[in-house]
Amino acid sequence: MWNTNRIILGIMLFVLLAIPLFASSYIVYVVTLAMLFSMLTASYDFMTGFTGPLSFSHGAFYGIGAYTSALLTLKTGMSFWVAMPVSTLTVFVFAAIVGYPALKLRGHYFAVTTFFFGHFIYLVLLNSRDITKGPLGLGGIRPPESLFGINFGNMTAMYYLILFFGALMVVFLFVLVNSSIGKLLVSIRENEDLAQASGVNTAFYKVMAFSISSGFAGMAGSLFAHFFRLLHPSTFAWMTSEMIVIMFLVGGAGTLIGPIIGAGVVTFILELMRFAPEWRFIIWSILLIAILIIEPRGLAGLYNRIRGRRA
Amino acid sequence: MEVLFLQIGNGLIIGSVYALVALGLNMIWSITDIPDFAQGSFYVLAAYVGLFAVTLAGLPFVAALLLGMAVGALLAFLCERLLYRRWRERTFRDAARVQLLCAIALFFLFANVANALWTGKPRTFPAYMEGAVFGFSYMRINVLIAAIVLFVIVYLFIMKTKQGKAIRAASMDPGMAQVLGVNIDTVNSMVFAIGGALSGGAAVLVAPLYSVFPSMGDLPLLKALVVVILGGFGSVAGVLICGLGLGVIEALGAMYVSSAYQHGYAFFILILVLLLKPKGLFGRV
Repeated sequence: MWNTNRIILGIMLFVLLAIPLFASSYIVYVVTLAMLFSMLTASYDFMTGFTGPLSFSHGAFYGIGAYTSALLTLKTGMSFWVAMPVSTLTVFVFAAIVGYPALKLRGHYFAVTTFFFGHFIYLVLLNSRDITKGPLGLGGIRPPESLFGINFGNMTAMYYLILFFGALMVVFLFVLVNSSIGKLLVSIRENEDLAQASGVNTAFYKVMAFSISSGFAGMAGSLFAHFFRLLHPSTFAWMTSEMIVIMFLVGGAGTLIGPIIGAGVVTFILELMRFAPEWRFIIWSILLIAILIIEPRGLAGLYNRIRGRRA
Repeated sequence: MEVLFLQIGNGLIIGSVYALVALGLNMIWSITDIPDFAQGSFYVLAAYVGLFAVTLAGLPFVAALLLGMAVGALLAFLCERLLYRRWRERTFRDAARVQLLCAIALFFLFANVANALWTGKPRTFPAYMEGAVFGFSYMRINVLIAAIVLFVIVYLFIMKTKQGKAIRAASMDPGMAQVLGVNIDTVNSMVFAIGGALSGGAAVLVAPLYSVFPSMGDLPLLKALVVVILGGFGSVAGVLICGLGLGVIEALGAMYVSSAYQHGYAFFILILVLLLKPKGLFGRV
């Protein structure tokens, strides 16, 4: 199982490395967005797929990371290379503070609380006009400073930068998931009470998983801010968290590689449906309900089922 | 002093909307374990149906209200019958999660359907009544009165009728109720229909005070979910008190603290209550 995953990831990395060499700039742009969403869904999978609690605040942490990074570079003149780790860490700590009380809740209660938290962050971004410029949007964000003679003002350089950090994050998560910590997290998902009775500090590990996963969302946000260079609160409204959950679900929970592929597939389908902007989310919701009816375990579940039948 | 009085009154009125949506959600959540986000979109669709019934068909307001309630009830009934029921037995591990995601997908779907059909432009719902008393227009007072009447009807239905008894039994222990001869499918259909009717009714009642637009259901839905968690399950009075209380706190907070964060107070209250009293203010979870 893990060997197949390694092969798939290797092929994906190879394809992603090659894309800017021959594809048009539009394709490069779409793939960059897909990679950012892959980062979000893979980190989301670490929390929800491996540890269990269903959360609807990932888009909010993405937004906090984006705004923190953008504001640090704009207001204090900090370099992107400092602002990105700082904003990642900020989101990590912030998620721990929020997660500690919220993760005491189980099941739907946690889900609804995070849903509300996401909306609250959206309100803060929208209403702190003197800091975030609210509904006007925060513009004028600089691209990352040149490093090793590479100018990140052009899109291809930014593409490789995001690919680099995305790959780094995926490797980190894979190592973590396959370590003993990963097994502890899965034990919490499978039976929280039993894990607790067996001596696992479930509260600590849940908060840890939540913070790590949110911290990576913050990192993706920081990359997004300096790639897109314009932030608007509505980018981080509940629709975004919802899309992350959908992509995660399309890919298949608890597989890490499924959500990465899911994010790519969904981004491209949404991009293809751009000709009918009002209808694309309708088609999309119907598709989601159909997936829930046919195979609630997503693409990974479908893959396993087909393979199981052949064997 | 007069401003304070007005704000408390307005808080009670918007609070009664939260309470109405929350009552249906509470019944659905406690019996089927589904936080039915789709109620937020039945709210929107019922408001549009009510609007068109008044403006296009020229029906009186009461007819529009009943029509809105019927549409809400029908949609909720169909969603339960065609979708949620598939996963009722919860034969696989993620079934609870699938139901929640299905609810959110439906919310997403209907919100976008409303947006595609009728555009995002807010529409005005014509006033159906003139005049005011103590600074409150009759239309505002009607919302509160209608909410209380609906609450009493639902309360009597739950406490005094045989079907109501079945609902109460199912909310305590669905498995045991089934063993004792309660038809759980009928109970589910019933609570979803009641929930849809209450959401639809709340929407048409409040539509003349504000305007009708596709995302009008978002905030009432979020507040109602908070009210359900705060009020605890299985308590009709708890829902009413928490709903009205939340409305008043928001109205006063908007006046004395900051109106920009009017819709954020519910979040603070939720976190505070969950930290101090994880089982909600009333009843059991």
